[in-house]
Amino acid sequence: MPDTTLVLGIETSCDETGVALVRVGADSDELLVDAVASSVDEHARFGGIIPEIASRAHLEAMVPTLQRALSEADVDLGEVDAIAVTAGPGLVGPLTVGAAAAKALAVGLGIPVFGVNHVIGHAAVDELVHGRFPERVMALVVSGGHSSLLLVDDIASDVTELGHTLDDAAGEAFDKVGRLLGLPYPGGPHIDRLAREGDPTAIRFPRGLTAAKDQATHAHDFSFSGLKTAVARWVEARQDAGEEIPLPDVAASFAAAVADVLTAKTIAACRRHDVGTLVIGGGFSANSQLRELAAQRCAEAGIAVRIPPIRYCTDNGAMIAALGAAALRRGVRPSALDLPVDSSMPLTTVTL
Amino acid sequence: MPVLALDTSADIAVTLVGDGEDHPVLAARRVVGQRRHAELLAPMIAEVLAEAGVDRRELGAVVVGTGPAPFTGLRAGLVTARTLAFALGVPVHGVCSLDAIAAEAFATQGQGVHEVVVVTDARRREVYTARYRRRVGGPTTVVEVEQVAAPAVLTPLVLAADGALDAALVVGAGVDLYPEHLTARQDSPRVPDPAVLTRLAMARVARGETSGTEPLYLRRPDVTPAAGRKRATG
Ligand SMILES: [Zn+2]
Repeated sequence: MPDTTLVLGIETSCDETGVALVRVGADSDELLVDAVASSVDEHARFGGIIPEIASRAHLEAMVPTLQRALSEADVDLGEVDAIAVTAGPGLVGPLTVGAAAAKALAVGLGIPVFGVNHVIGHAAVDELVHGRFPERVMALVVSGGHSSLLLVDDIASDVTELGHTLDDAAGEAFDKVGRLLGLPYPGGPHIDRLAREGDPTAIRFPRGLTAAKDQATHAHDFSFSGLKTAVARWVEARQDAGEEIPLPDVAASFAAAVADVLTAKTIAACRRHDVGTLVIGGGFSANSQLRELAAQRCAEAGIAVRIPPIRYCTDNGAMIAALGAAALRRGVRPSALDLPVDSSMPLTTVTL
Repeated sequence: MPVLALDTSADIAVTLVGDGEDHPVLAARRVVGQRRHAELLAPMIAEVLAEAGVDRRELGAVVVGTGPAPFTGLRAGLVTARTLAFALGVPVHGVCSLDAIAAEAFATQGQGVHEVVVVTDARRREVYTARYRRRVGGPTTVVEVEQVAAPAVLTPLVLAADGALDAALVVGAGVDLYPEHLTARQDSPRVPDPAVLTRLAMARVARGETSGTEPLYLRRPDVTPAAGRKRATG
């Protein structure tokens, strides 16, 4: 047995074709390359992801992205020891392209394939940045597609979903409020930028599912659609009164409400489950107010917070290779060659 | 060297084809229907290799049907073929899936046939279709075909209008779906045979022609955005 093994990760759950290589060592895992091809520009004019356009782009990008990753890492395909691929959750058409490619590699190279959970990958990628997880961590995964709170006892085999959004994902709420304020799609980054110029305490928007009555049933769940409606009502009332809308203050106050709920509930969960380390992943972890508030509140609560740099937080092959590496390391059984894709893969299922 | 051929335009069909001008079938698997391509293709490939006792590293090429066909299954076949060939370091050749049905029709339906029209199911009450004649001057053991009319998607009514099919032999699974417009001989081919795709691909390669693996979608994507998902923020 060699002292290192090489895992190739493939991600195609949405509009990014990601291929990454991770070298698994005795004590740490090293990201050798993280190549991404995106069809994002082809979707912008439709105001959302078009699954068929994304699927077509994945087919065309697959072999070129594999080639680019291998050549940038100066790795021969024959050196790869295992394949990891997103099995779900995500869009069926895009997932199917990645899974078929991964299994063709597995057959062609005679190596195992692991079908892994995309959302858990958003947490696992932090192991490539800040080192392997301690015994037990809390993971908050927030993006345009997901808002989930996960108790991670073993990233490769033992994950419990404590809570999730009951309606919009955090990033999705940002995009919807962006549309409401007349900002270009996707609205998230525009709101974040505007919010930095505004006063987060200017308007007191509601904090969803934080009332005492919600603590029994939804202590760790999120809801952002009421907040979105409150922003819409506030803006419309101003417009009806013929007043100007203070966009930076609206953006800042809205972002503050989202960050407040996410961090308050997450830290309460850490306390309840006696967890000393919090990992935040997913594209929405790029949000400045969330980062700042999480750092501040975790420091006060004595919780170590780990947030990977932004380039690891968007959808990419690194997160999938990282989770595949963890599965390989922990001796998890590889997937069967008839591995299906599961567009609504449960967050308690780490590998299929 | 053996060739691994697959087609996902009608069924899920995987065939291991041997050396020699007649390209003997060493092992074959076919699952009838349009579902579960992504699950079944890889195990089927492993099975034909195991059954024939051929090591994957002995393969000399991969051949794939490029449709036209419903998108998801077609893509599963194409990405499997391209990626498998990439993993093995061998060439991948694409052939229009309808070409294989036409070639088999010419080969099995007698010398009197001058033109073949292939018709397959495009769903939404339409068919994929292409018109062929026998290619002259090819190697004697392989019936080669050339397209007189390129693949298109049409309603059966338009396809059959003005006696357009009167002088042709009409073949392919589409004939069973629209008997009011299309009639076929009972024993004529209905679906593409990967072994025939291989013979066509190898004949084209021998002539120095290209055989790309671009998918024949023939329809634009439906541009309804995905519900509840997502945006560029991962
Ligand atoms: Zn994601």
